[in-house]
Amino acid sequence: MNCESAKPLIESYLDEELDAIQAGHVQEHLADCPSCAQTHAQFLEQRTDIRAYAPYYKAPAHFSDVIRGALRQADRGTAETWRWIAIAASILLAVSFAWNIARFQSRDSSAALTAQDVLSSHIRSLIGTHLLDVPSSDRHTVKPWFNGKLDFSPDVKDFASQGFPLIGGRIDYVDGRAVAALVYQRRQHVINLFTWPEAAPGDAEMARNGYHTVHWNSAGMTYYAVSDLGIGELRQFASLYKQ
Amino acid sequence: MKSPAKLALFEQTILPHLNAAYNLARWLTRNGQDAEDIVQEAYLRAFRYFDGFQGGDGKAWLLAVVRNTYLTWRRRERDVAKVPFDEETHGSVQLVEKAMAGSLRDCLELLPREYREVLVMRELEEMSYNEIAAVTSRPIGTVMSRLSRARRRLQDCVTARIKEASR
Repeated sequence: MNCESAKPLIESYLDEELDAIQAGHVQEHLADCPSCAQTHAQFLEQRTDIRAYAPYYKAPAHFSDVIRGALRQADRGTAETWRWIAIAASILLAVSFAWNIARFQSRDSSAALTAQDVLSSHIRSLIGTHLLDVPSSDRHTVKPWFNGKLDFSPDVKDFASQGFPLIGGRIDYVDGRAVAALVYQRRQHVINLFTWPEAAPGDAEMARNGYHTVHWNSAGMTYYAVSDLGIGELRQFASLYKQ
Repeated sequence: MKSPAKLALFEQTILPHLNAAYNLARWLTRNGQDAEDIVQEAYLRAFRYFDGFQGGDGKAWLLAVVRNTYLTWRRRERDVAKVPFDEETHGSVQLVEKAMAGSLRDCLELLPREYREVLVMRELEEMSYNEIAAVTSRPIGTVMSRLSRARRRLQDCVTARIKEASR
């Protein structure tokens, strides 16, 4: 090995990064070449100086404990974070359950309240003097009468030929809003058909205190037919209207 | 990984390299307090990323984290204030022996960071080219040439200092 090829390898030789064969060649060359040997000696001296005079800064005595403490805290923090996430998630779940239950209940209860309200209106219309605002068996009289009094126009039908003659209409109040009440007669029984624009939830039928209610939604309107008629006849009325 | 097991494994494999971490940080920052801050931050980072540690050379892996933490820290600090060197570094030099010690330390601290870090890792940590390449994310060839230039610049600096002190 000559100087040309040995020189670039001196540092790698110094750093013990050469394989055994190359290292052997460099070693041989250094033994023969004073110039390269001097370069090598200088690097070696520098190394000795660095290791002697450039301090290896050891971590301060307390530092290991500081790091350990910080790690433990971080570890707890991670665990804590997960715990909080878990807690938050379960709270969220519970709230959403409660919310949905409350929603169902309030929907149920609001539907029940509406049915109750409808029944009360029906009873009120019978015991007072306010059964009819517009007494007429002519649906072409009854229907226009609602114009300007309500923000919707109820579908007025007459079933006189089927034994359910229209006897008139009035404005009533259900759930705090003005609704149309169409009044029909079946023998001595009165049928109030309440209607307003809404798809109201609630049971299709309800029986209470001798009264029956049949409820349905159609074309964006909700209908409550209420009477002291038997449920069979009230259903018959309802299906006539639905046709 | 489960948390207690993770912490235990981390303490077992990474914590023993605390001195190496501190030494590198101390040479990078040239300041004891900053070195402590960086090492602490580096350890927390290392712990966070420990799941990504494939095993193997824990020291090189940790030093890479220390170095990256330092680089981030330096970007943050650069415009804030010039960090003073520790005063002990700059005592007066009279005796040749003391001059040699002071000069060597000064000169090493004055080297550009790229040169300083490879010299510290090679000569003080006695790490291989491979390990240094892993820490610095540079090819081995770059490590070798940086190391070579670092040695020459350090030699020039020390020679000049000694000459000056002995005048």
